[in-house]
Amino acid sequence: MNTLRIPTMLMLLLLATACVTINVYFPAEAAEKAADRIILDVYKNVPPGQAPAAEPAPQPGSSTQPQTGSGRAVSMLLDWLITPARAEADLSRSSPAIQQITARMEARMRELAPYYSSGAVGMTRDGRIDVRDQKLVALPQRNAVKTLVADENRDRDALYAEMARANDHPEWESEIRATFARRWVDNARKGWWYMDNSGGWKQK
Amino acid sequence: MRVAAARVCVLVLSAAVLLAGSILPGHAIDSAVLQLGSVAGEGWSAQDVSLQLDWQQDTEAGVVLRASQLRLPGPLGDLGAVSLHCPRLSYNGAQVECPVGQLQAESGQFGSQRITVSFRYQLQDKALALRLEGVRLHGGSLDLQANYAGSGWSAQATGKNLQLTGISKQASALGYPTPVLTGDGRVALQARLHGRGAQLGEIRLDLQLQDATFTDDSGSLAAEHATLHASMQASPHARDWQVRLQVDAGAGAFYFDPLYLEITDQPLRLDTSLVWQPQRHALQFQDLRYHHPGVVELQASGKLAWQDGVQLEALQLELSEGVLPALYDSYLQPWLTQSMAGALQTAGRIHGSLQLAAGMPQAVHLVLSEVGVEQRDARFGLQGVNGTLDWSAQQARQSRLAWQSGHIYRIGLGASEVVLESTGNRVRLAQPAQLPVLDGGLQIETFALEREPGSSMRWAVDGVLTPVSMQALTTALEWPEFGGKLSGVIPQVTYANGDLTVGGVLLVRVFDGEVTLRNLKLEQPLGQVPRLQVNARAQNIDLEQLTRTFSFGRIEGRLDGRVEGLQMEAWEPVAFDAEFATPPDDHSRHRISQKAVDNISNIGGGGVGGALSRSFLRFLEDFPYDRLGIRCKLQDGVCAMGGVAPADTGYYLVKGRFIPPRLDVIGYSDRVNWGGLVEQLKQATSGQSPIVQ
Repeated sequence: MNTLRIPTMLMLLLLATACVTINVYFPAEAAEKAADRIILDVYKNVPPGQAPAAEPAPQPGSSTQPQTGSGRAVSMLLDWLITPARAEADLSRSSPAIQQITARMEARMRELAPYYSSGAVGMTRDGRIDVRDQKLVALPQRNAVKTLVADENRDRDALYAEMARANDHPEWESEIRATFARRWVDNARKGWWYMDNSGGWKQK
Repeated sequence: MRVAAARVCVLVLSAAVLLAGSILPGHAIDSAVLQLGSVAGEGWSAQDVSLQLDWQQDTEAGVVLRASQLRLPGPLGDLGAVSLHCPRLSYNGAQVECPVGQLQAESGQFGSQRITVSFRYQLQDKALALRLEGVRLHGGSLDLQANYAGSGWSAQATGKNLQLTGISKQASALGYPTPVLTGDGRVALQARLHGRGAQLGEIRLDLQLQDATFTDDSGSLAAEHATLHASMQASPHARDWQVRLQVDAGAGAFYFDPLYLEITDQPLRLDTSLVWQPQRHALQFQDLRYHHPGVVELQASGKLAWQDGVQLEALQLELSEGVLPALYDSYLQPWLTQSMAGALQTAGRIHGSLQLAAGMPQAVHLVLSEVGVEQRDARFGLQGVNGTLDWSAQQARQSRLAWQSGHIYRIGLGASEVVLESTGNRVRLAQPAQLPVLDGGLQIETFALEREPGSSMRWAVDGVLTPVSMQALTTALEWPEFGGKLSGVIPQVTYANGDLTVGGVLLVRVFDGEVTLRNLKLEQPLGQVPRLQVNARAQNIDLEQLTRTFSFGRIEGRLDGRVEGLQMEAWEPVAFDAEFATPPDDHSRHRISQKAVDNISNIGGGGVGGALSRSFLRFLEDFPYDRLGIRCKLQDGVCAMGGVAPADTGYYLVKGRFIPPRLDVIGYSDRVNWGGLVEQLKQATSGQSPIVQ
């Protein structure tokens, strides 16, 4: 019986290692850099005012959670057994779609900037924008602003999906969106409005 | 509430009359003050009530009725320092009358009031006539008149210069479903009510708003410099109300989210009969007429219901006049901002009808006269459209549309006519249609469209593309002009889930050869990121015509090629596997010019550019060659390069003839940046000398 036990253990170990061959973490830091490149491009058309204030971003997401003691040991053993393959994913890859969407957003920024400044338009938690207070928009322009917001959101949704797709990780769309949501606010001008975690509007 | 207030007056009067009745005949005293202390009745109470009487004649006395505090039900609330002074109250056994008096009170809500009062009460038939003048209300004044008799009662209120914001706030506080407004605007109103007992017979309300600028809290109802006149007649019938409403907007701008209406010269008018069923949460409208001069005139009837949100349950609408672009800009576009139809420039006139039942469209009939539609970014347009559109949810209907001209992107479409048959969710072409495209045409054999509820639209077309000259097409697309013909049998073009798939083969006869396109698929053609997939094959292309057209430098010979798995994103290639080469069995004359050699060597990264001019070969204008060719497999922005044949190191882009002068162009770069390659090709074909590094 004992002779059978060792191969069984080996089989189990092999099975365990087979399950953890690839570890692809969402590259939080790289995502922020990639987001900043695009965001600063879009914001560069904002008429001069206060300089955009980039603040140190809040901490990366879920992928770098500390592991518990026993989990860590297992992980080290597995690392020893088989080196985990880390996918190259720095989110820096661009594509014609990303460039075209960014170009449209840059052009639209000229029209949107006054509404960000007045507080008529604000940034939402999901990386989109919304009409925050339409009373701040003259009556004849209200529908034009709504159209601008709708166009911008269509482009933003497409941008997050395209960045995930261009970097071969379509499943990262929501994390990319969350990264952008933070960085749009961090890079925004002082005085612009954004939605905080509780869903209330706050002025930067 | 007013009824309750009237009762209080009657009670107080009765007390005064009783006192007067018991004291006057005696004439024993000239003056009397009665301290009544606290007096209370159902829903009201008064503190420190006193009554002072000063006899003047047999039937006349000066009366002052005071209370330190009066608590009334309803909107009047608490009043302080209340006094009613009637200097000449007369009593003759049949009636009590105060021809002129003054009522003073301090109200927390309405401020300090000094109201001129007159009343007359007839004891026999218990008829009361009451008049209050100069009630201070919302910055203006209000006059009230009430009559009560056994046969019924009537009341009239006339308000002047009242603040709109105050009225809206109070109406809302009283529980009426009206918005609270902020801003500036004055209201003049006249209300007449009559009834019998507790039963209201009729209300007539006439309201005038002058130069008002206001907004509600959310900004979804707003106006600027608005002048409005509304008149309403309402009467209760069992549990419902019958209402006749007429609204004239004479000037200013109005915003009813999402509609924005600006009144220019003639007033806008709404006129309707309503049945309001508050218990059923429903509002029926009949004989509704809406006229916005020069824009729209319509009649409608229907039913609105609000259980969870407002729903249009039924609608029968007759549009007798609709003028574009104003009708589209003011009334249609605001609802369509999220769709492609939200960015159109329109012209022409329409009229027709629309029926809805249970919130769902039942039938549409639309007559179009000289209608023009143009997409804002010039993606498509159709001009001079005439005809009828007919659709019914249940029955088959036929529509006929004809147009003068149109375009899709830059490709022009000629005059044409289509006859469509629709049944519920399906539309099909009733007879084949001929659609002129540039100098050719698209013969559409069948067309079928369907839209199942809850799913996206699908359609399919079968057709034949009769030859379109490439000259016309290239001119239209602003490409370098070249000859040839584009034609094809398009057995099945389908559109489903936002993707357009072209079955069959598109054939382009060009440069004396043929290019065939297969498996053409267009994902989200009108979306944010259109994606195109296609496989192409080129056969027997005459290189001389091709190189002349693109001023690449003259090459003679033939070329075959294939492009597999071409994927374009936002109209730029992102992946393909392409190979172009001299056909193995080509026996035509093979010559290549110096300029072409320079250009090709730069593409291959061979770097021979300029080498020719430094050797004796510079005296030759062109060279013979055996074969030439290029391969590029594009992925992730990098082109994996290859040539017509492998060389010892690298690959042949041009392989020379065995006999001299022999010239080979050999490429060494395995991987070339696609963006750089495109840049080099652009420079080469624009006639500029390439930059060799």
